[in-house]
Amino acid sequence: MKALEVKNLSAFYGKIQVLWDVSFEVEEGEFVTIIGANGAGKTTLLKSISGLISNKKGTVTAFGKSIEQLSAAKIVRSHIGHVPEGRQLFHLMTVLENLESGADYLPHAKREAAKTKAYVYSLFPRLKEREKQLAGTLSGGERQMLAIGRALMTKPKLLLVDEPSLGLAPALTKTVFQALKTINQEGVTIVLVEQNVLQSLKAAQRAYVLENGEVVKSAEASSLLNDPEIQAAYLAI
Amino acid sequence: MDLTLLLQGILSGILASGLYALVSVGLALAIGVIGIVNFAHGEFFMVGAFLAYQLFISFGFDPVLSLFFVAPALFILGALIYRSSIQFVLKAPELNQMLLTFGIGIILQNLALVIWGGDPRSISNVPYRSIGYQVGGVSIGLVPLASFLISIFIVAGLYFVLLKTPLGRAMRAVAQNRTGASLVGLEVNRIYLLAFALSAALAGLGGVMIAVIQSPTPVVGFAFTLKAFAIVVLAGLGNIRGILGASLLVALAESLVATLVPDGDSLRNAVFFAIIFVVLIVRSRRQA
Repeated sequence: MKALEVKNLSAFYGKIQVLWDVSFEVEEGEFVTIIGANGAGKTTLLKSISGLISNKKGTVTAFGKSIEQLSAAKIVRSHIGHVPEGRQLFHLMTVLENLESGADYLPHAKREAAKTKAYVYSLFPRLKEREKQLAGTLSGGERQMLAIGRALMTKPKLLLVDEPSLGLAPALTKTVFQALKTINQEGVTIVLVEQNVLQSLKAAQRAYVLENGEVVKSAEASSLLNDPEIQAAYLAI
Repeated sequence: MDLTLLLQGILSGILASGLYALVSVGLALAIGVIGIVNFAHGEFFMVGAFLAYQLFISFGFDPVLSLFFVAPALFILGALIYRSSIQFVLKAPELNQMLLTFGIGIILQNLALVIWGGDPRSISNVPYRSIGYQVGGVSIGLVPLASFLISIFIVAGLYFVLLKTPLGRAMRAVAQNRTGASLVGLEVNRIYLLAFALSAALAGLGGVMIAVIQSPTPVVGFAFTLKAFAIVVLAGLGNIRGILGASLLVALAESLVATLVPDGDSLRNAVFFAIIFVVLIVRSRRQA
């Protein structure tokens, strides 16, 4: 079954159209990255899928179920997690409360909350150390880990990840990408949106290139790494 | 200075702070969770007072019993007002929101004037209204004492809900990050509805008490809106935990001026707002 099928998706901020007939597919278990320059519409694309943007046209099907009409709160119930731009954590809550809040309102996630939490801590031992600390006092890297952890607590089968490397030191970026790979190997389908094209092409199996709100290319990630156009435009080689 | 008078002033201040805290905490909830500046808050308080009065007149309900009717009634009124108007202006400029809630307040106030007239009304002939205790020359009325205890009990209950229950955590989550809240499965609009309705219910409960403590008219609400605002600002906008301390501070100042200064009773409101001015000026200096 396809984890995600986006067909002719257009999205708008007020009257301004940001996405133009975007279509792409993700097989279950895949790790797909969507690359593109700043302002290409990558964040908008993820927000449209997860329901944070409701002003849109076209269809979005996840695991065979049509979700484009649903609210964000309903879409997370369809096993789609979103690690959003800007992390969107609860700054005055502790790390632990942030994680628990990921599972609290979803019965299927709540049942396995303890297990998932242990899994998140095994991925990011740093979060365990910071368990009692307020999210607002964490470093950028720790916040990113917490955002991923909170999304995992919702028990997603498909995880949308927005710019996890933004503002992170290279070593931390590596940790985060390694964690995403591990999460994918455990069976979670991943759609990663990134400006750090080199890292994301290395991590992903397939890639789509988004330019000015349109999909202009799709290929195996490894072949894009050797594509002269991609190298010139995004890899600065 | 007369020590007994001082003690009396302090005690009256402490007792008055409970009701202030109860009314202000509801306003802080609306501001903190929904981000809506509700100028009709005092009117919910007034409606609570007159509902209790009417229940007493029509059915002989004791005000303590009325608490259990007024709270759900105001919860429903709050929910209706949220559904019919507030939810449509959440993204509107703040000035528009304020004008809307101000207008709602005026409508409620005038409806009350039509129904009950402009005379002061009071639940006067409950047997315990005149009961008081003398402790070392200081007198404590049963009604102010009970209203203080009930208010603190309700405020403590609200704190418990906010800090320890899933609903409370949901409200805090929505208050702290709307986007994050919807991504963990919370229907933000539903939480807003609950918070607004709860806020109205808390104000209504305060109103029941004022109907016994004082003899309110339908225009009592606005003064309480302003006072609650002052307390909320003093505590720091949206800071629900700071409400108790802020209420205590202003109630004490008000009461001490009223008891210790000759003709101080007419200065009550002046003191209240003088404190707010000072706090705002000091705070803005510190930030600058």
